[in-house]
Amino acid sequence: MNSTTLSPSAQPPGLLRQLANLLSILLSSRTAVAGLAMVLFWLGIGLLSLVWTPHPPNAQAFDANLPPTSTNWMGTDHLGRDIWSRVMAGTQVVLLKTRLSTTPQVVVPGGVALWGVIGAVGVGGLLGVNAGYRGGRVDQTIMQLLDALIAFPVIVLYLVIVTALGSGDVVVVLAITITGAPGVARLVRGLALDIKTREYIRAAETRGESAGYIMLREIIPNARGPILVDAMLRVGYAIFAIGTLGFLGLGLPPPDPDWGSMVNDARKYIYANPIAILWPALAIATLVIGVNLFADGLREELTRYQQ
Amino acid sequence: MARFLVRNLVSMGTTMLLVSALLFLLLEVAGGDITVRLLGVFASPEQRDSLRRQLGLDAPAWQRYLDWLVGSDWRARPLSAYPLVTTSNPQSGEAEWWADVAGVLTRWRLVDGELTAIQRAADGTESTAPAKTVWQRAPDGSEIFWGVDTRNNLVQWERGSDLEVLVLSEAGVRSERGGPQHYIPLRKGIVRGDAGMSLQSNRPVSATIFSRAANSLILAGAAFLLVMPLALFCGVLAGVHEGKALDRLVSITGLGFTATPEFVIGIFLILIFGIWLRWLPATALFLTGDAILRDPKILVLPILTLMAAEFGYVARIARASMAEVMQTPYIRTAFLKGLPRQRVIFRHALRNALLAPVTVIMLQVNWLIGGVIVVEVLFGIPGLGSYIYDAAIFGDFNAVAAAAMLTVSIAVLTRLAGDLLYLYLNPRIRFA
Repeated sequence: MNSTTLSPSAQPPGLLRQLANLLSILLSSRTAVAGLAMVLFWLGIGLLSLVWTPHPPNAQAFDANLPPTSTNWMGTDHLGRDIWSRVMAGTQVVLLKTRLSTTPQVVVPGGVALWGVIGAVGVGGLLGVNAGYRGGRVDQTIMQLLDALIAFPVIVLYLVIVTALGSGDVVVVLAITITGAPGVARLVRGLALDIKTREYIRAAETRGESAGYIMLREIIPNARGPILVDAMLRVGYAIFAIGTLGFLGLGLPPPDPDWGSMVNDARKYIYANPIAILWPALAIATLVIGVNLFADGLREELTRYQQ
Repeated sequence: MARFLVRNLVSMGTTMLLVSALLFLLLEVAGGDITVRLLGVFASPEQRDSLRRQLGLDAPAWQRYLDWLVGSDWRARPLSAYPLVTTSNPQSGEAEWWADVAGVLTRWRLVDGELTAIQRAADGTESTAPAKTVWQRAPDGSEIFWGVDTRNNLVQWERGSDLEVLVLSEAGVRSERGGPQHYIPLRKGIVRGDAGMSLQSNRPVSATIFSRAANSLILAGAAFLLVMPLALFCGVLAGVHEGKALDRLVSITGLGFTATPEFVIGIFLILIFGIWLRWLPATALFLTGDAILRDPKILVLPILTLMAAEFGYVARIARASMAEVMQTPYIRTAFLKGLPRQRVIFRHALRNALLAPVTVIMLQVNWLIGGVIVVEVLFGIPGLGSYIYDAAIFGDFNAVAAAAMLTVSIAVLTRLAGDLLYLYLNPRIRFA
């Protein structure tokens, strides 16, 4: 079944073929297509904002709290900044860039939500595959620890982490990693328990492969489908979480625009300029719904495909 | 059944213990220097050091963990010459530590190198008198005395010492002479219901947290009781009509509500009902403790927000569960027997279909708590959620830890309740 592990010369099905396969599965689900369209819309807006926004997003160039006009399509915020430019640029911290709090500031490609999910899948995956494959004491210890983490309401855990570690992009990435890892670990553990009974695992053990090799080269690649779908859903949760943290004033640091913080700022001026709060709120809602629809559609199609 | 309960309780205990250790590790070890918060950034290292010793932060981390968890009076009692007792302050009602000197409640203060006793009479009045205390001779030749000070610490004074300490009072920091050498902050530990002093308000955490939790309970309970029947009804209805327009409507609404963050829903509701239509107040003003009972209107929007956040998930689970049950052979048999549709749905399908949602609802409590935090911050409701939020913003370790422990125990207990309910509802397990 898994030819790569037997002879290195035998190529796995071409990457392009795999992608085309995935795409055809995707396109057969209307839900997934709708979700993908929403995600691609925001991704496009984010990429565009890297090179062009109608006005500089951090410039206080206008009167404060203006309603929508022909120059400021969504009006201006409490400091006289153009809201549409800020909504556009707000995509960056979520999807496109992570700022490390070093001096001078280093910007890493890949948004806070993506790094958070990568962290959660990495840590959770390693813990889960170890728990599932090794079993016994290791399993018990890991799962008991993760149970303790799962017992926390997620936002409470965020608050505790932020209290302990302060704020910043990296802390938010860490928070998403810590809150997401237990869920991933449970999923991967279940998959590993199933996969480790297969013949090819027996074969690898007979060949005398190390436990590390079996876990990373035999089990994880064969569990990637469900892990991928789970990761997709987690990107949605992560954007949700970043928005909530920003709203609580604990999220990504200013002055770069962040949707949650924009909602929080606009909330204080809700009587002066009620429409201003609508835009970043809509942006968060549509992006999260898009990612969710995409992941849901993908999961439905994949399970139907497997049946 | 008994074995199930015991196993669950043991695992719950382990989980809570781990949670407490995790919390302590995160907050105390990884957390920043609390003296910076309390004294500001311009305080001198000596001032910081003095405050750290007063807060008992010079003790090793494991000792402070044990103090926080099960109390410090265990290790304080052998040091004290007199029995230590707690009594409530006649004005504030908060618990205070006193030494019981032959039936008289006593605390001490070192004035000009000599001890003064503060005695509380039975009617609550306090009087000072020169202390008739015997100093003990320490191995190094100095004369020492362990006694309770006025700030709920067991402290070690040295005779003739003129150590300068910085006392943090409501008016600011002031320097005091005649300070103690060692401090053991007296506390009963979180297991015995004493979560220590809030660093922010300088009052016991337990004095505020429960009244705050009561407000949250009203809010969350009302939302829960209102949304559950609605969500289950809509979910079941959608499940029965799987694939039809009604199903699509419920599914899409559910997904929309689940995927939209609570604060976004809340803000839409505020915009619509609070700002444009002006039907309902946009924020909750709590002028009195029983504001909820006097003006229930302030709770309408918060409850609606929580309901929307809860609705989607439960409705989706109920729909999936009902749709699954409707496709089982026994339902087909019932239809083929010629039973009326109503009877099949209500008598045959519903009972099995509701099993899954009931357990899921209990797991939802974790999520509900998260929603409560956001909603309380958004609408300005003084509940447990806004308490933990304020404490987290300030960096008030004791308050954050206590509130987090409270939320975790609520979550763990409801999960146990969910398991038990499932056992009770599922005859396949009940009679096994």
